Amino acid sequence: MKKGNLKYLLILHLMLMLYSLSGIASKWAAEETFLSVRFCLCYACIIALLGVYAIGWQQIIKHLPLTTAFANKSVTIVWGVIWGVLVFREAVTVGKVIGAVMVIAGVVLFAKAEPKKDSESMAEEKETGDPQ
Amino acid sequence: MMDKKMLLYSGILLLGVLIGAVSQVMLKKAAMRTYPSRIREYLNPLVIFAYVLFVGTTFLSIFAYRVIPLSMGPILEATGYIYVTVFGITLFHEKINRQKLIALFLIIGGIVVYALLG
Repeated sequence: MKKGNLKYLLILHLMLMLYSLSGIASKWAAEETFLSVRFCLCYACIIALLGVYAIGWQQIIKHLPLTTAFANKSVTIVWGVIWGVLVFREAVTVGKVIGAVMVIAGVVLFAKAEPKKDSESMAEEKETGDPQ
Repeated sequence: MMDKKMLLYSGILLLGVLIGAVSQVMLKKAAMRTYPSRIREYLNPLVIFAYVLFVGTTFLSIFAYRVIPLSMGPILEATGYIYVTVFGITLFHEKINRQKLIALFLIIGGIVVYALLG
């Protein structure tokens, strides 16, 4: 891998980590009364994180192949498990890990299976914001 | 094994992912059109409605997280790839290959395993 690509790959992972933090904010918001001050603060965090992620993604896909970016997106599943355990004391079971690994493998395979033509058409979505 | 309540709230999150995919299709449709000015690219009914849907999905996620664990969210969000494929084939005449099909089965299988054995 080129040195420049490694830099953008690291930035991509930083962005994906930030994106995963929006899940923590969503879970916190879920524990608050709808439209209370704390709820609104959590919601503002969610929108801010999603905004930073969307802008970051737009910049990253200028420098990395879209398939690489999409394949790496599956790391958000790992972050979900990590934050779930660390922040919300969720239990990790063998079944959950097997299921998560299968989904990650599926997402990576899906991204790698993307024909060149499709990648180009997806690149057109650059102006549309969220990469989902 | 998932109980009924968990199943219901998982369904709410899945609905949010579906609506999110619909909003992406709307944004893509909007991006394919030509507009008289740059401001009209963003301030047109299709784009505005797409963003309204997107905001709606964030509320659905929050509601779903009242019951479902955080670790399950990104797993269920992976169903977005299924919707993107279906919309790609039906609306944008994209083709699906065998690798993609296997990938989608892996995603669905992973969700089922997570739900049944997790």
